[in-house]
Formats: sequence, C-alpha cells, structure tokens
Amino acid sequence: MAKRTAATKKLTNKTCRQISELVFDYLNENLIPATKRDFEQHLSICPDCVSFLNTYKKTVAVTSSVNVEQLPPNVRENILAFLRKRIRRIGAILCFVATFLGA
Amino acid sequence: MLAYRNETEHSYSSEKLYGTSVAPVSRRTSSTAIPFRRRRETGRDETLLIERLKAGDQEAFETIFNLYSPKLYGVAKRILGEVADTEEVIQDVFWTVYRKAKSFRGNSRLSTWLHRLTINAALGKIRREKKHSKEVEYEEYLPKFQDDGHHLVRPVVDWSDTLDEKYAKQEMQGLLAQALDQLKPDDKSVVVLSDLEGMSDKEIAATIGLTVSAVKTRLHRARLFLRGQLAVHMGYSAA
Repeated sequence: MAKRTAATKKLTNKTCRQISELVFDYLNENLIPATKRDFEQHLSICPDCVSFLNTYKKTVAVTSSVNVEQLPPNVRENILAFLRKRIRRIGAILCFVATFLGA
Repeated sequence: MLAYRNETEHSYSSEKLYGTSVAPVSRRTSSTAIPFRRRRETGRDETLLIERLKAGDQEAFETIFNLYSPKLYGVAKRILGEVADTEEVIQDVFWTVYRKAKSFRGNSRLSTWLHRLTINAALGKIRREKKHSKEVEYEEYLPKFQDDGHHLVRPVVDWSDTLDEKYAKQEMQGLLAQALDQLKPDDKSVVVLSDLEGMSDKEIAATIGLTVSAVKTRLHRARLFLRGQLAVHMGYSAA
C-alpha cells in the first residue's frame, strides 16, 4: 500500500493506534460526539482501520456465539445430593447441641 | 491475579461513565432491559426467597439452586474447563450460599452475589491448583503500530466475511474455546461474563470487584488477543 502523504495525515486528528484504543467505546456508543466524529473521519480515509474495526466486531460476534455448557442432569443430582447431605448433617449437629445445652 | 472481594456482600458506588449511555453491542444486556413492573415483581419474589433462605428454609434454598445453578455451571465450566472441577465449585458456591445467606444484605442483586461467589471459587481453584499452565504471550497477538501511530503491518486484511466460509460452526466453536482457554483466568472471567453471559460492564464490575474502567480495559485487551488468534488461524498477521 502506498505510503501516506502528509496531506492525508492532516485529514484526521487520530492515529491508527488511537483508533484501536477507541474501538471498544465506539462499538458501545460511549464516545463523546467530538471523538466519535474524529473516529469516523479517520475511518473514512483509512481502509486499514476499517478492516481492523470489522475484524474486531467479528471477534466479538463469534465469541458471543460460543455455546454455554448445559448442566448435565447427573451432575445436578450429584450436587443436590451433596448439599442435602450436608444440610442434614449440620441440622443433626445443631439439634444435638441444642439438646445437650437444654439438658 | 486479582484480589477479589470476599464472600460477603458489599455495596458499590455507581461509576460515572463518560459519554452517552446506549444499548451495548452483541448480546450484552442489563437489568434495565426488564420492564419496570416485571422487575419489581421479580425483585419482590427474590426478596421473599432470600428471607426464607435466611430463616433456613431448605425449599427456598433448592428453588434458588434450581433457578441459578444452570447459569452458574455454564460460567464456571467455561472458566475451569473440567466437569469435575466445575461440579466441585458449584457445590462450594451453594454450600456458601446456605451458610452465609444471613450476610446477604440485599445491596446488590442475588445473581450478582452468586456470580461473584462462582468467579471467586473458580479463580481460587485455578490459583490453588495452578491449573492454568498454558502461559501465552499476549503481545504476539496484539495489534502493532509504527512510531507515528500507523499500523505496522499493512494492509490490514479484513477477514470478517471469510471467517464463516473457512470454518464450519463446530470448528469455529472449537477454535474459540481453544483461544478462550489461552486467556489469563482473570481476563477469561471478564469475557465470559460479558460476551457469553451478556452482562453490562457495570454489572461485571459489581460482580468481580473491579472498576468499570478496569473491566473495559481487560475486556478490550482480551478481545484484541482473541482477534489476533483468529487472524493467525486465518493465515494473516495478528498485527
């Protein structure tokens, strides 16, 4: 790709590095209007940053599509059985202590 | 590793976000998306459940377990990877809920407290057992720039449209799972809560005890790393 000219640089207040740091807030629409304008102005003359933005957006989209693992029924039953047993045991201990103190 | 908050509940001051507040990208949502009336009813139901739990009502405890265990399992499994570890963590979380219900003061939502317990338990397990051995240098996968601020490697290739063509859905899931596993555990927990669970930055901050700004920084860095990983898999420079 051709080297940027000084004239091209003057068309934007932001560098590509700054654009990469603003992408997060741009996508969340959290940039203040002046910064958003600078961001979009830079994009209008910088195909590299357009590519960067598109691939960043795609990364977020595909990450969001990762399947969340389901709780297997047998694991659920194991956990519940464990908890019920512990609750029963602590109940029995408390009952014993109460009886002991009462006596 | 981060020093996360302890198991008891804390209140959080709201952070002032700069700029305008709008709906975020992807499937991230926040409690504000729930209609007010339904939210009020849900809140009332939740308060009753918590009161019953505090009184030692086992039925209320199991209702909370049934409501939240599938979601918390998904979060812990994605962070830990192993079913056995995840089962142990979820057991510990709900046992803590039963024992420490009285310390829950209602300053945050029940789900926030449960997520915090889960993240802390999962990261604690990784720390104790030093399970995260795959140390990958983030630097290799982050974008790089020249001294004048322009991209170091040009042109930056836009592979966003060809990614789906190159990988079948199943392959993509495997690829991403592998990339997620290479994130540092603290960063992975932020990505899981944000991009997989759809929590807002503010909710994540409240859940794991970071500032909103720290959450954004971690999330952005993790996404840059994941983007770099995908670029390399596509045969392009991560830069």
